[in-house]
Amino acid sequence: MVKAVVMPKLGQSEETVTIVHWRKRVGDTVAKGDVLFEIETDKALLEVESFYAGTLLKIVAGEGVTVPVQATVAFVGDPGEPVPEVVLPVVAPKKTEASRPGAAPPPQRAPAVDRRPPSHLPSGGERVAGPRVAEAPPAAPHAAEPQLFRISPRAAKLAKDSAIDPTPIVGTGPSGRIVERDVKQYLEAQGYGRLRITPTAKKLAAREGIDLLGLGRKGDGSQITVADIERLLAERPKPMTRMRQIIAQRLTESFTHAPHFFVTVAVDVTELESLRAELKAQGTAYTLTEFILKAAALALEQFPVVNGTSDGESIRWHSNIDLGLAVALEQGLVVPVIRRANELTVAEIHARAQELTAKARAGQLTPAEMTGSTFTISNLGMMDVENFTAIINPGESAILAVSSGAKQPVVRNDQVVIRTMMKMTLSSDHRLIDGALAARFLNSIRKTLEEISLWQRSI
Amino acid sequence: MAAFDIVVIGAGPGGYPAAIRAAQLGASVALVEKEELGGTCLNWGCIPTKTLIASSELFARIKSAEAMGLRVASASFDYAAMADRKDQVVAKLRNGVKQLLKANGVTVFHGSASFQSRNRIQVDPTGAGAEMIILTAGKTIISTGTTSAMPGFLPRHERVVESRGFLGLRALPATTLILGAGIIGCEFACMLAQLGVRVTMVELLEDIVAGIDTDVRRELRRHMEKTLGIRILTGVTLEEITADDRSVRGRAGQESLEAELLLVTLGRKPVTQSLKLENTGFAPNERGFLDVDAYGRTRVATIYAIGDVTGGPLLAHAATSQGLVAAENACGRYLHKNETLVPNCIFTSPEIGTVGLGEQEAQQQGRKIKTGKYLFGALGKALAIGEPIGFVKWVADAETDQLLGAHAVGPHATDLIAEAAVAIRAELTAAELAHTIHAHPTLAEAWMEAAHALLGEPIHSAPPRKEGKSG
Repeated sequence: MVKAVVMPKLGQSEETVTIVHWRKRVGDTVAKGDVLFEIETDKALLEVESFYAGTLLKIVAGEGVTVPVQATVAFVGDPGEPVPEVVLPVVAPKKTEASRPGAAPPPQRAPAVDRRPPSHLPSGGERVAGPRVAEAPPAAPHAAEPQLFRISPRAAKLAKDSAIDPTPIVGTGPSGRIVERDVKQYLEAQGYGRLRITPTAKKLAAREGIDLLGLGRKGDGSQITVADIERLLAERPKPMTRMRQIIAQRLTESFTHAPHFFVTVAVDVTELESLRAELKAQGTAYTLTEFILKAAALALEQFPVVNGTSDGESIRWHSNIDLGLAVALEQGLVVPVIRRANELTVAEIHARAQELTAKARAGQLTPAEMTGSTFTISNLGMMDVENFTAIINPGESAILAVSSGAKQPVVRNDQVVIRTMMKMTLSSDHRLIDGALAARFLNSIRKTLEEISLWQRSI
Repeated sequence: MAAFDIVVIGAGPGGYPAAIRAAQLGASVALVEKEELGGTCLNWGCIPTKTLIASSELFARIKSAEAMGLRVASASFDYAAMADRKDQVVAKLRNGVKQLLKANGVTVFHGSASFQSRNRIQVDPTGAGAEMIILTAGKTIISTGTTSAMPGFLPRHERVVESRGFLGLRALPATTLILGAGIIGCEFACMLAQLGVRVTMVELLEDIVAGIDTDVRRELRRHMEKTLGIRILTGVTLEEITADDRSVRGRAGQESLEAELLLVTLGRKPVTQSLKLENTGFAPNERGFLDVDAYGRTRVATIYAIGDVTGGPLLAHAATSQGLVAAENACGRYLHKNETLVPNCIFTSPEIGTVGLGEQEAQQQGRKIKTGKYLFGALGKALAIGEPIGFVKWVADAETDQLLGAHAVGPHATDLIAEAAVAIRAELTAAELAHTIHAHPTLAEAWMEAAHALLGEPIHSAPPRKEGKSG
């Protein structure tokens, strides 16, 4: 008996879930407990297991499709069993969530999903019965509604076996349905017979839904090989991880909303570096970042406006100095927060920074430990860079980009001497922070770092 | 002084085709050869050994003719006559190369070439009395090949020979010790054993013909030991080697070995010293070979290198292919790359032919594959000709069924591999090969049957056991 596979409800807040990857294909045998597909929520990548045993008869929601929880995404049953027609509720892309008040968009008939052309192909415009639609359909709120694409099963099979995209074909069947004859005529008109392709390359293209007619001729006139198809597959857009998507969204928001102003200073860290070496010899390996965190906290006390935020109309002052510390991971970047950094000694900052960094590397940071910073420090010192600029974290008004220290010839008392110099660049929200203020703030940090007696006293 | 568009150094199976192709493309071409036209392959390699092996194979078949219903009174052979025939075949082919070069307008210089600079090549004639010549070259193609390695620990004695020295013999020893069980060693071992010589092989590695598919190796070793009675010692070194007028002696592990002849087949080393490459500004790599890019170019833009001297598979047909590519690239046609799919043929008994990806190689790469095998023992033609030995095997991609590798051991395996090479280069799938009509009764049908087997639907062998399905 045919069983419907529904998208499970995973937590309190999840309303919609994106299917990232189907582990099983249609026709595969499924045992109870087998992983059917992988999903991605705002928080994690998860596997969904089958409650039933049988054969995967139909996939209603393909890879990359976002569906509401409890929606039917597939059917499992005995081979050859008829599968009920299903309505797949369409979920608008995340970014338009705001424009989706209350009423869900009209449902789409599920069978159409399977036959939509792969999304990477250049679409020949939305298809309906009859001639090509010349203009884009009227904008929102119905823009997301896909229109019916009518094609006979024989025609669809021919198109699939030929590894072509059938959407540009003009149908001459009933109600403008594309029939086999139309596909044949299209293939002939497009010069399909002159395509030179190896058998395996064609099979691979058909399986992966690559449009051979969209490939173009190869420069040297040689035939299309497996290597060519594999290159195309590698170039195919793939969904970014949730983490990457959040990073993209936040950085774009910040960089487009806050006009960034940049100012750079070079800090003489010669003495601080020798102090650090001494401290290390005594048993505590402070990082340069920990001194910079302390110096920044002191400067923020002195210039509270840098510790505030603006939406362009109002200014909000933060009473606490909570410093974000950017930590690079393989998958992206996380920013744990050191709370009330101005109230901590260097030793306390050291302990807290070490703890948070270790947790970040182990993927054990809690959401509370990663939110609410008022100023951020990003240190690329270990990456051997001369200088760089950072993008302000949303909700803050400045970020400090710290580069590598390097020995350089500098002029002291009209003498050229060798000193270890380190550049720091402040990115600030120019709506809130004037250039002169940014310069004074940054120089305050520089002076603190260079004042070695202060550090010797405080440690 | 003479000026040429292209100068080719070395007239082996890479060099002389390169010279001919360059001449066909309109270039003025000089070909420099210090010994004989045709190089190692034609004079002291492929051709003479295969000529001798043809005789030894036929002799072995005559001796077992009774199984075919034939009665041959007393079969015997005259090795000197076999060697004469070999020399005639070689001479005929060598003359053919000479005529081809002449017909294509290639100027041949007999002498040893060395670089004076990147485009000036000095030829010191081999014949006495002839004068040194300077050639200026637009582009140069180096195809100087390799020679047999004779490591210093081996005694220099007439009873210790490498392959070229062996081919100069006019009589066979009664016993032979072969050091090194690679391709060349195994080919000689089979030939000698078929002619009644008692052969013992000593190989440092754990198995013979390293690098060949494991199934194929096992089949070959079984036949060499069981059918031909060759003693094969693997994983041991031959030490304390001495030679005198009576015999050659050595120690392998605890055992003392003695034979009339020691044949050394320990690999080959590139010929570059006489070239004086230091005058061109580039040097051989740490293994002594010349590095080239995919188009056959060395680090000097006008100097190409092809064949054995570039390392790679050390096969005549690879050199020929590279020679043609280098000639076309050097003559400024459109640039194209060297072919990477090189079939490998081994003229042992039984013969071996392999091309493309091996099963173990695929596993090492973590690539998902399927295999399909068919035994000659089940093939009509193999039984009819009395050689139901060995098998063919396909290696294909598990997802697309693309044919990636083919391995054959058995009758005419070296000829059979050609079909597989075409199929793999054309990126055929197993289904397409299986659907291709193969003439019956032929040995090539084995490929079709093996393709059916790979797809899980063999016709002439037992179907694979289906998992989880009951009547």
